Amino acid sequence: MRQIKRTQIFLFFLSLIVSVRLFNLQILEGHKFRYLSRANCIRIVPFVGPRGRILDRDKRILVDNLPTYEVAVFPQDISKIDGFLSQVSSILDIPSDKLKGNFNKISNSSLPLVLLNNLDKKTAIVIEELKFKFPQLIINMVPKRYYPYGNLASHLIGYLSLIDYWRLTKWQDYGYSIKDTVGYGGVEERYDYYLKSQSGGLQVEVDNRNRIVRILGYRTPKAGKDIQLTIDLKLQKIVEEALEGYQGAVVILDPHTGEVLAMASSPSFSPADFLEEKNLNFYFSASSSPLINRAISGLYPAGSIFKLILSYIGLEKANIGKNKTFFCEGVMKLGNEEFLCWDKHGSQNIFEAIVHSCNIFFYRLGLILGADLIHNYALKFGLGKPTGIDLPEEKAGFVPSPLLKRVKKFESWFAGDTANFSIGQGDLLVTPLGICRMISIFANGGKLIRPYIVKAIDGKDISKYQRKIIPLNLETIHMELINNAMRKVVEDPEGTAHFLYMPKIPIAGKTGTAQVAKKLSHAWFSGYFPADNPRYSICVILEHAGPSLYACKVTRYIIERMLEEGLL
Amino acid sequence: MNYATKLLLVSLIITILGLFTIYSLGSRSPKVGALLFFYRQLFWIVIGLFFLFLTYKINYQRFWEISYLLYGIVILLLILVLILGNVRLGAQRWLKFLWFNFQPSELAKLSIIIVLSRYFSQRWQIYLESEKNSFLKDVIFPSFIVGVVVFLILQQPDLGSGILIFFIYLGLLYLSKTKRTYIGLLLLIILILSPLLWRLLKDYQRDRILCFLNPNLDPLGVGYTMMQSKIAIGSGSLFGKGWLAGTQGQLRFLPEAHTDFIFATFAEEWGFLGCSLLLFLYYLFISYSLKIAYKTEETFAKFLAYGISLMFAIQIFINIAMSTGLAPVVGLPLTFFSYGGSSILISFISVGILLNINKRL
Repeated sequence: MRQIKRTQIFLFFLSLIVSVRLFNLQILEGHKFRYLSRANCIRIVPFVGPRGRILDRDKRILVDNLPTYEVAVFPQDISKIDGFLSQVSSILDIPSDKLKGNFNKISNSSLPLVLLNNLDKKTAIVIEELKFKFPQLIINMVPKRYYPYGNLASHLIGYLSLIDYWRLTKWQDYGYSIKDTVGYGGVEERYDYYLKSQSGGLQVEVDNRNRIVRILGYRTPKAGKDIQLTIDLKLQKIVEEALEGYQGAVVILDPHTGEVLAMASSPSFSPADFLEEKNLNFYFSASSSPLINRAISGLYPAGSIFKLILSYIGLEKANIGKNKTFFCEGVMKLGNEEFLCWDKHGSQNIFEAIVHSCNIFFYRLGLILGADLIHNYALKFGLGKPTGIDLPEEKAGFVPSPLLKRVKKFESWFAGDTANFSIGQGDLLVTPLGICRMISIFANGGKLIRPYIVKAIDGKDISKYQRKIIPLNLETIHMELINNAMRKVVEDPEGTAHFLYMPKIPIAGKTGTAQVAKKLSHAWFSGYFPADNPRYSICVILEHAGPSLYACKVTRYIIERMLEEGLL
Repeated sequence: MNYATKLLLVSLIITILGLFTIYSLGSRSPKVGALLFFYRQLFWIVIGLFFLFLTYKINYQRFWEISYLLYGIVILLLILVLILGNVRLGAQRWLKFLWFNFQPSELAKLSIIIVLSRYFSQRWQIYLESEKNSFLKDVIFPSFIVGVVVFLILQQPDLGSGILIFFIYLGLLYLSKTKRTYIGLLLLIILILSPLLWRLLKDYQRDRILCFLNPNLDPLGVGYTMMQSKIAIGSGSLFGKGWLAGTQGQLRFLPEAHTDFIFATFAEEWGFLGCSLLLFLYYLFISYSLKIAYKTEETFAKFLAYGISLMFAIQIFINIAMSTGLAPVVGLPLTFFSYGGSSILISFISVGILLNINKRL
């Protein structure tokens, strides 16, 4: 029969259609559907690993982690745990409405929702017992940052917070994702890539109602790498004690290597506050800007400390020996303007001028040298550009020149500008770290160092890669003269830093009093000690504290305490 | 091996593959009674084989004799379903007999084939004697026989079985001596009446058809099933996830995984290769049964065998087509494969009839 034959052919075509369809779904689109089927039934319960610890140079722990516990639940199970919420609210004394409000907003996620976090072990055990009645609960250990010394070194450490949009877009390619906690400021930010832990998790298979059917896999979370700083915990403590009550910064470097031994900025903040996310408004709105690390981000006029650079140029370029003197009457007239000295020093050679910090001498010297030469040498001594320290937010500072003034301000450079420049005033701006590095050049015999704060990552010493020491090829005799003068600044009863004089330990340094319009001046001291074999270079600045004496007081306190603690 | 042996062998292989799939669905559930479907299906297969043997022994001519009685019983059962059927998934298709649910629409398929085979073979005889055509007797009359049953089935509502019976009817008309113009006329009339038929459908049936035409219409409701079915089939890829390793069906993302959508469950675990094998087995099965229809000289037997072959072929095609998203979700079991006593029983009885016809060649 024809009809049956035709039916057979017709059915053959139907099966061909079905085969083509199956080929399309299973072979051509198989990958897509495989993915969709996995997405249907696989969920991840994330486990967070501890972040790397931050240690001082002797491996004392500056920042640690403590275990806390969190209680989570899959979004689909929320309705089943109303009873749990009311029990928990009575145990923890939190209104249950508040508990529920926490997660209603985000109940579409496929990840578990955190109901409670930051629980201590005792509470976690109590809740663990409730798990018998509410098997949907997921109780996880979550490491939490712990700061055993409170505010200590807060600017160096930084704080932790949720990743922001800007960082997320920048770091996405490095494995960061939304809801990550990352470091802000300090080592936490700069070395976040090493410090951050690799989160692990439980991969579970769920059915259509999100009930866990079985566990597919487990990846242990990996702890972040420990970071060892160059900071000396004892010294850091001393420095912060000394700064207490002032607004300012202190930097102490190893002048030979560039290791930052202590660095403090006042006022400081408590990184722990950022974990609780409370009282943060103050930090962001206070006029004293406690979050700013003044040691690297604060810009100040250099004041008289800048005279050291001028002295060197004078010795090398203008052949101004010990015989050349200028006469100080306390005032110098330049056109219609009067330029003042803080005293009447009479006849001063370069040595005396440094010891007494005579302005008139350096006005005159500066006018002889010219602004461009001073500008070039200031750059050579490392001012006007970032030191390259491994901390975020470092400022460059600014070294003026006639050309820059014309380009930036469209103004001409006058002799008065040169005079101001010569005593470290005018448009010149420096960071305390920049000054400390500059002073280190005198301490280490003419080498420009690069300050750094991280000594080792994960136990591996990286000093080799951190150190960048550039010899500046400065004339040794000239340096010696200036160094001797700096010693006299402290030793000579007429010296500006004689307050610092301690028979036990020779100190070399230079004071500065940076004038500020309408406010008390900034007090500077920068120097190194012990003077015959420098191990420490120091820079102290106190904002609007008045004369440099205050900076000397802070310095004296630090050195005395160092002697007490056996650091010298 | 004769066709009968081959036919039986292929249908048994398919049945066993189906059993494997139903076993897999319950295998990973820790619950007691997860394998209940598997044991029940096994039970029905044993019962089915017994009935297969029985029908194989009974001369198919007997069905000629009881055809109208059977038809009457089916009408009665269908009316009974409407009155006191068990409501499940918005449809009442089951009659509770003692401890099992019987689905009269399954019996309706077979009895319609028997009744029409008798009717058309009688018409055939008359045609051979007098070469007379009659629109009334060739088309209107059988259409009425079919129409009553289809109407009752659509009331349940069981769109799939209704459509299936309609296609079987068209196939038998095609085989009969009915003039082609009459058949054309019938199709024209149905086309004109189709808006009326559309109104006869239940809301959810209309939704399914609309959703088939545009799957994005309702991705969480009706479209969900189709999407999950496609995911299950597609994720099988070439080799499949392996027996017992499927997730879509086992974790219940796929609704009706052991009945209407069992093909998707199978495809997920056995992949394109397994599907190709299954399709090939079905194709062999249909070819053998068509061969029997082709070979038999007796008109009633020819109609009967042809009708049964069509019933299997169309049901298999519609089921797989809807699982793969080629056809709307109408709810038809996959022959020998889907879980369900009525379906298994009727399928085996039908095979028994084919075997009996083959015996008398």
